Amino acid sequence: MNVSEEKNKTVSDWVDTYSDELFSWAFHKTSSIEIAEDIVQDTFLSAFNSFEKFNQKSKPKTWLIAILNNKIIDYYRKKANAHSSLDQMTETQGNHITDSLFDENGRWKKSDTNPNWDSEKNLLDDKEFNTIMAFCMGDLPEKWKIAISSKYLFGKKADETCQELRLTTSNYWQIIHRAKLLLKVCIEKHWSK
Amino acid sequence: MNKIMLSCKKATELIEIKQDMKLGFLESLQLKLHLLVCKTCSCYEKHSNTINDALHKHLHKNSSIEKLVNNELKEKIKSKL
Repeated sequence: MNVSEEKNKTVSDWVDTYSDELFSWAFHKTSSIEIAEDIVQDTFLSAFNSFEKFNQKSKPKTWLIAILNNKIIDYYRKKANAHSSLDQMTETQGNHITDSLFDENGRWKKSDTNPNWDSEKNLLDDKEFNTIMAFCMGDLPEKWKIAISSKYLFGKKADETCQELRLTTSNYWQIIHRAKLLLKVCIEKHWSK
Repeated sequence: MNKIMLSCKKATELIEIKQDMKLGFLESLQLKLHLLVCKTCSCYEKHSNTINDALHKHLHKNSSIEKLVNNELKEKIKSKL
C-alpha cells in the first residue's frame, strides 16, 4: 500500500469505528439529526485533510473529538452571528460576571448563606428547580457547556477533556470553576422559594 | 491576603478541584482553615454539590436518546475521502 492508500484505509476504519460515538455527541449538543450528520462528516473530512498532523502516538478518538468539538463551537458561532443574537453568552461575558462576584482581594462581595438550598433531596425532585437548572445550563458559553457535559455526563477526567478541548489543566479548572459560579448565580436569580 | 489564608476566589476553585482529585497537603490545609472561618464559602461548597447532583440528573435525562449513525452516512463519508 502506498501512503495515500494507507491514509484512506485508516480514515475509513475510523469512520466505521467512531461514527456512532461522534454522532451521538454531536446530536446531544445540537439536537438535530441533520446538523449532527453534517458535523460528523465535516469532522472526518477535516481529519482526512489534515491527516499528516495526527500524532501516531495519540488516540484517534481523542483527536477526532477535538476536531468535532471545534466544529460544534464553529456551528454555534456561525449561528450566533447569523442571528446577531446576544442570548448566547460569550466567554468574555462569563468571565466578567464571575469576576464581579469577588472584590480585588478575591473576597466575596456579597456574603451569602442562603438556606433555601439545604433540603437537597427535595430540591432535585422539584420540577421548577430542574427547569431552572436546564435553562441556566443552556445559557453557559458553548465551550464551558462542553466542558461541563464532558465532566458530568460522560464522567471524563480533567486530562481527557483538556486534550479534547485543547486546554491547559489550569484553564480547564478555571472554566469548571467559573461555569459552576455562573450556574449558582443563575439559579439564585431565578429560584425564589 | 496573607499566604496562609486563601482568598474566597481561590478557595471556591479548590472546592471544585477537590471533587475530582486529591489536593496537595498545603492546599488541603489552607482550604480547611478557610472553610472554618468563611461561612459563604462553606455554603458555596454545599451549593456546588447540589448543582453537581442536579447536573447529573439533568444531563442523563437528556442523553437517553442515543442515536446511531446509519450505514448510508458512513458509506457517504468514505466515498468523499
